[in-house]
Amino acid sequence: MKQTILIIMILVFAFMLNAQIIHHGFARTYLGALTEQDGEYSVLQNTFDWRLDYGKGDVALYVNPVFDYNALNDNLDITLRQAYMDIYFDNFDLCIGKQQIIWGKADGVFITDIISPRDLSEFILPDFDEIRIGINAVKFDYYLGNSTFEAVWIPTFQATITPRKGSIWYKNMLDFSMPIVYDYHNYDVGNKLSESEIALKYSYLGSAIDFELMTAYMWDDNPAMHFFPQPDTTILIKPEYHRLPLAGASFSKAVSGAVVRWEGAYYFEKRFAAEDFSVNGVKEKDYVHYLIGYDHNWFGMNISFQFIQEYIMDYEEDMRNDEFSSTMTFLITEDFLRETLRLEFFTYYGINNEDALLRPKVVYDFADGFEVQLGANIFVGDEGNFGQYDKNDMVYLKLKLSF
Amino acid sequence: MMIKNNYENQEEKMLSKTKSRSLSGKKITLMLLALLAAGTVLSAQEITGLTIIENVYNRPTGQDQEGDLTMSLINSRGDERVREIKQFLKDFGDMEKKIMFFVSPADVRNTSFMNWSYDKVGKDDDQWIYLPALKKVKRISGDSKSDYFMGSDFTYDDLGDRHPSSDTHKLLSEETIDGEVCYVVESIPKEEEYMYSKTITWIIKDKWIGKKKEFYDEDEDLLKTLTVKESEKIKDYIVITLSEMHNIQKDHTTKMELKNVKVNTGISDNKFTERMMKRGM
Repeated sequence: MKQTILIIMILVFAFMLNAQIIHHGFARTYLGALTEQDGEYSVLQNTFDWRLDYGKGDVALYVNPVFDYNALNDNLDITLRQAYMDIYFDNFDLCIGKQQIIWGKADGVFITDIISPRDLSEFILPDFDEIRIGINAVKFDYYLGNSTFEAVWIPTFQATITPRKGSIWYKNMLDFSMPIVYDYHNYDVGNKLSESEIALKYSYLGSAIDFELMTAYMWDDNPAMHFFPQPDTTILIKPEYHRLPLAGASFSKAVSGAVVRWEGAYYFEKRFAAEDFSVNGVKEKDYVHYLIGYDHNWFGMNISFQFIQEYIMDYEEDMRNDEFSSTMTFLITEDFLRETLRLEFFTYYGINNEDALLRPKVVYDFADGFEVQLGANIFVGDEGNFGQYDKNDMVYLKLKLSF
Repeated sequence: MMIKNNYENQEEKMLSKTKSRSLSGKKITLMLLALLAAGTVLSAQEITGLTIIENVYNRPTGQDQEGDLTMSLINSRGDERVREIKQFLKDFGDMEKKIMFFVSPADVRNTSFMNWSYDKVGKDDDQWIYLPALKKVKRISGDSKSDYFMGSDFTYDDLGDRHPSSDTHKLLSEETIDGEVCYVVESIPKEEEYMYSKTITWIIKDKWIGKKKEFYDEDEDLLKTLTVKESEKIKDYIVITLSEMHNIQKDHTTKMELKNVKVNTGISDNKFTERMMKRGM
């Protein structure tokens, strides 16, 4: 019912303002097959991503409904990825509504980029603009020369979307031998002013360097699983979201024809899972997450390398995560045939578990705005973020028409 | 689609080097007389390749400029693909800032690109790109001058403003093209690894504007020819409005057309900021 109302509203809006609205977006057919499951289809999806821009004077409206038809279960999902209003003033702007907010200098890694939570229902395989969830927020930007002061108020909490049970991406992280009973009594964050999230950022873009300084008082987008052994030998699990204050910084700088990037954040009292019933399986620890990246153009090839490390401070041996977790990413792209053909290879490599995700792809522009993409997602290893999906190797084909 | 650098920098840059020497009054008088006598002959007959290229480099083009740029990429079968860009540029004295907003094709719409280039010899350009899908302004490497711009036949360096001191210039001859007398200047790069072994430029006498340019590859074979088809005088400044680059070896062509050109309209400094990259035109 809500979906029908949404469609009607969008259509009415589009027809009323048709002359002044700029329509753009894309239509895409996406077919994915699992190579280790006899080619079983993992994705059969048709997407219509419709972006409507309307501007009048110093006010602009952006609405982005997305229609996803999943042929595997004959289901049509209609979502409003973003719907916001921009109001421009001489030295400041306001952006109000459902929006994606992206911070930091990292590519494909979320360190200070914690404002918009992620939709991980298909792991991290979709494009990043499709992974990020729009949040209801008021964003205020004040400009002074090359500096920007940004304040974000998020009145309602949005959690990370995790893979549903039955999905090839679903993993049960709770390996208890006893039966589990869930208690969702404290699960939801209330819709109250006191439960809001606030984030502040100062950024500078200049010849010598670009940098950002940020701090935020957020909720951890993933719940902590507090567990309580019961007299009847079951385990009672109470998922609960907790506050997560953090402060961070990032910079990017040109050095000898390359670009060097750094990003880091200090998280206060983040909750981690532990094999310790005395604290109900959850320990609060300060945590550091940082990255260093290097981008270079070498004989026409764009090469990008990132080293990422996570460190749990005051570590205890019964914690489920490692004290240090290190990951590397590597990207190489090259264009051919007057940039109508692009070869790309992107990989994540987890150092702790020696696992990896390899993502080669070929993109060919048959015509302006119409591309065909053929690629693969290859998981290597037995455990870790990527190795756990070793059976999910897939090849895929995407046909995309942009308008 | 790769988008990185800039197109057609023709800003006013002064490259005057003055030398002062202490001489007695008598010597000065004698020298001035000798110079006055010889000067008329020298200025008319012995202009050098370097002077010609410096005159082209220093030709005034206004404080700021905006226009709609259309690039037509034509392959050997005659198939055409079109890229449309809205661009703004402004001279800030010792640097020039340029911002480009991509209008078409649809898959790059709302992408923007900003370039800051510097007069200082050897200082790389600063470049940023805004990708609307990522909603992020990203600094990119300014050291890719030999890459082709948006799949066209123009490299980033072809579109830029190559400093006269980067090459050794030699005046070869004078020729008449389309009724206009041109100096023919050969320029050989001082840098050994440069993508061209040499270029030969036909420069219209007294206008200090290029008419034609040939680019030779590392084997000294002719690679590309640039032809200036049309130019317009706007507020006393000559602006190239239609040019064509033909790749001889691969037999494809790029037409570059600049429309709705406005010069010296007082574009705000704030146009060349992260805010505008995200906001758009």
